[in-house]
Order: sequence, then C-alpha cells, then structure tokens
Amino acid sequence: MEITEHMLRTGSRGFRDDLARALEDLRRSGQGLGLAWSLAWHDVVSRYRGSILGPFWITLSMAVMVLGIGFLYAELQNIPLATTLPFVALGIVFWGLISQTIIEGCESFVQASGMLSQTALPMLTFVWRTVLRNLAALLHHMVIVVAVIIGFGLWRTLNLPLALAGLVLVLINISWMCLLTAIISARFRDIPQIVMSIMQFSMFMTPVFWQPGARVGMMDAVLTWNPFFHMLDAIRAPLMGLAPEASTFPVLIGMALIGWVVAFGLFTVTRRRIVHYL
Amino acid sequence: MSPRAPSPPARPDQAFISVRGLTLRFPVYGYDAKSLKKHLARVAVGGRLDQARHGSTTVTAITGLDLELRAGDRLGLIGHNGSGKTTLLRALSGAYEPDEGQIEVRGKIAPLLDLSLGIDPTATGLENIRLRGRIAGLSARQVDDKMDEIAAFTGLGPFLAMPLKTYSSGMQARLAFAVATAVDADVLLMDEWIAVGDADFQKIAHQRLLGLVERAGILVLASHDLDLIRLYCNKVMRMDAGVGSEVVSVKALDELLARPSVR
Repeated sequence: MEITEHMLRTGSRGFRDDLARALEDLRRSGQGLGLAWSLAWHDVVSRYRGSILGPFWITLSMAVMVLGIGFLYAELQNIPLATTLPFVALGIVFWGLISQTIIEGCESFVQASGMLSQTALPMLTFVWRTVLRNLAALLHHMVIVVAVIIGFGLWRTLNLPLALAGLVLVLINISWMCLLTAIISARFRDIPQIVMSIMQFSMFMTPVFWQPGARVGMMDAVLTWNPFFHMLDAIRAPLMGLAPEASTFPVLIGMALIGWVVAFGLFTVTRRRIVHYL
Repeated sequence: MSPRAPSPPARPDQAFISVRGLTLRFPVYGYDAKSLKKHLARVAVGGRLDQARHGSTTVTAITGLDLELRAGDRLGLIGHNGSGKTTLLRALSGAYEPDEGQIEVRGKIAPLLDLSLGIDPTATGLENIRLRGRIAGLSARQVDDKMDEIAAFTGLGPFLAMPLKTYSSGMQARLAFAVATAVDADVLLMDEWIAVGDADFQKIAHQRLLGLVERAGILVLASHDLDLIRLYCNKVMRMDAGVGSEVVSVKALDELLARPSVR
C-alpha cells in the first residue's frame, strides 16, 4: 500500500517559510472544504434541533421585522411602501449575513479548540465553517428575498449577474474579517463584546432600514467611509434595478485585497501560536 | 544535529516517525493578559499595573527530544504527570508546531487522545458517527461505507437514532470508541489505553484495539500502567520534565525506571 500522507513540521525558519506554511494551510483547507461544509451544516441542524421550522424561525422573525420596520419607515420618511419594503427587506437579510459572519467569526477558533489541539486539521477550515454556516442561513432567508422580488415586481428590472458579483465580493470581504476576528479573539477574550458593539453601532450608521438622503455633509461622510454601506449597496442596488454607487465595486475590490493581505499576514505570523492561545 | 539534515532512508511504503531536537514552548497567559482593554490600560499607565496577573510566562514542555520509530515499533511513553507525554503526542498529531527541531511523520495519523472529540451530545448517535468520521479524515462516502460496521460494533441498535444526551455514560463511550477506532491508520497515538463499557464490551473493544494496533505500522502509547506497556509495547521511552530518555527495548523497562532521572 502506498502511503501518501506525509507530515513535516519544523521550527520557524523565518517569515518566508511561515508564509509558505500558511499558504499550505489555505490549500489544504480548500481541499477539505467538504469537511467545513459538513461542520457548518451540522451547526445549522443542531442549532435548530427540535423546532418545527428549523432555521426558518430566523427567517420568520426577520420577515416580521421587515414588515414592522418597512411600514414604520415608510411613514417616518414619507416614502411609498412599494419602495421602502423591498429596500428594508433586502437590507435586513444581507445585513444579517454580514454582521452575523463577523460576530460569529470571533468564535471560529475558540470553539474548535478541542479539534485544533489534537488534530492536524487546517485552521482555515474553521473560518470557512463560519462563513458557510452563515451562507446556509442566507439560503433560508432567500425566501424573503424571492418574495420581495416577485411581490414588488423587482424581477422586471433587477440585474442578477451584478448582484451575484456583489455577493461574491461581499463574501470575500467578510471572510477576511472573519479570519481577523477569529485570530484576535483567540488571543484577547474581550474582543467578541467589542466586535458586537461595533456591529451594532454600524447597523445604525449604515442605511439598512433608512433611505440615504442627499449626499451632503455628514451623510456623505457616513456613506463614503462606511465599508458596510458599500457591501450592502453592491448586492441591494442591482437587485432593486438601480446602479450601485460608482465607487462601490472599486472600494470592495480594494478592501478585499488589502484586507486579505493584512488578515493573512497576521495569520502567517500567529499561526504557530494560535493553538496555544486557546 | 542540524534540523535540516536529510530524512533517513525508509521504504516508501512504510510508516515512520522521525523527531529531531524537538523543543516546544508554551506561552501561558495570566488572566488579565487575555483582555485587550486591560492591555491598553496598562500601556496607558506605563505598565505599572499588577504584573503577576498580567504576565505571560513561557513554559518549556519538551526540550531537545530525539525519536526515531519504524513500522512495527510500539512505543510506550512513561513519566510523571506533566513530564510532557501528552504534549509529545499532540506534537506528533500535527497540532503543535515545534519551536525548534523538526517532526516528520509518514503515514496516516490517528490521534486517539480524547474520545469525546467532536462529539455533540444533542445530535443523534448516527449523526455523531458521521461527524466524528468526517473529522477523522474520512470522506462522506467512506463514512457511509463504514456506517453499518460502526453501528453494529456499538451494539446500540435502535438507540443510534436517539440523541446522545439520552445515553448512559457507558453507551456514550461505546459510540465514541466505535467511531474513533473505525479509521485505518498507519500511526496510532494513544493517551492511556482506552477501556470502556461493561465487561463484555471491554473484551470486544480490546480485540478491536489489538486489531487496530496490528494494522497500524506504529503505536505510541502514553500510560502510567506499566503492565499495559509490557503487554502492548516493544519499546519504551521515559520522559522527565520535558526531556526524553533514549528509546530502549521494553525488556529494559525496569532498568529505565531504576535510573534516578533522565537528566
């Protein structure tokens, strides 16, 4: 029988070697994406075990929130319901994906401490697990998205390829954020609360439910410098048949590149230590 | 010995373990060192807060350890608590990276260090078998292929469809044992010999473990039970405060124990 498995571990031989090993971890985690998916799916199933609707409970509570906030903000901002409701619905669903992935990113390594401290599984598998788990949740919430698209006739104007491109870019971006929060929260245990506060603050600063008005003064600053606005805009605008901001896609691509370099750089430097942080 | 020295020649179809000059250090963080806020506060006040709670000390768990094992070797690791046995096993499993030296392992590694690894008490027995099998490196298809065999071995029958938390501890151990030992491995790492279940089950569990050990090229077993080591191992190494003795035949176990210390 030919033996294919071969493991070679050495002390650090400098950054270049550490980088090669971090890339090796990335490659192996890519090959083991099936495992990440199995773990993610198991998480989804076990979280809602015993409830009749399963993950659709969250979908249901989201739908209630969409209706409530949709009607309220239509009144508050004096905008017809036909515009507000799809805007709010898409906003809440995709904001859920972004913020949940980043918040749950904090637990990616901490929760896997048992597996990380006694197996050679690639560490990034656990980052993909978090991202895939939230993607699985998103698939359930697509019920809301489809309902809005059909109910408000958005299907006539929507630009699906662009929206999918936006979704892919958002996933690439939240993946590095997930990796970053995973590493830092393994080292510092008070990070999850800080991340949670940041995400809550960002939800109010981002046009999730409120329609952005004219871009002057504070409003312009809030939209231009808010990465979450661009993430939301890249998916929501094409679905609503609107053109995303001219800056949205360049910002997302730039953020993905810089973010991955920073997060992967930190991963390269700390990879050996992470298991001892846990 | 240089860590870059070429690996020893070994037949490509055989498992081997080669550890050279392995040194492992752990940072141990004090309670406050895990808080970013306190970290920042400390920087702000110029590091005059309580040092003791904040400090992170480094513990050297293994120092300059050398080990060569070939297919057919069954190594018993002996030593006091905290002598580095489990740490060595974790390093061999690939979880801990060496700080110095190198570890080379050829062959599929099965770490049986913790039976409860990847076990979810709220999931059913069948789901747990699936999950644990996947974590151990089996593909979804391989798990399906082995499912009947594993299920039969647990002897839990209809209970497999029930959540694990409804099981007695003996039943849980049976299931965990059945899955953990379902992997065909070339290198088997064990922290204490696993003894689970009632007398009947212990008998078949023993048979299964023996079969596994025979199939695997190499066994590394850390144990305090010397009779166990005499029974299953043909070589022994003693560890003392992170320093390993040379590997000797199990026949020389008493002499090894008689030494005051490895150091």
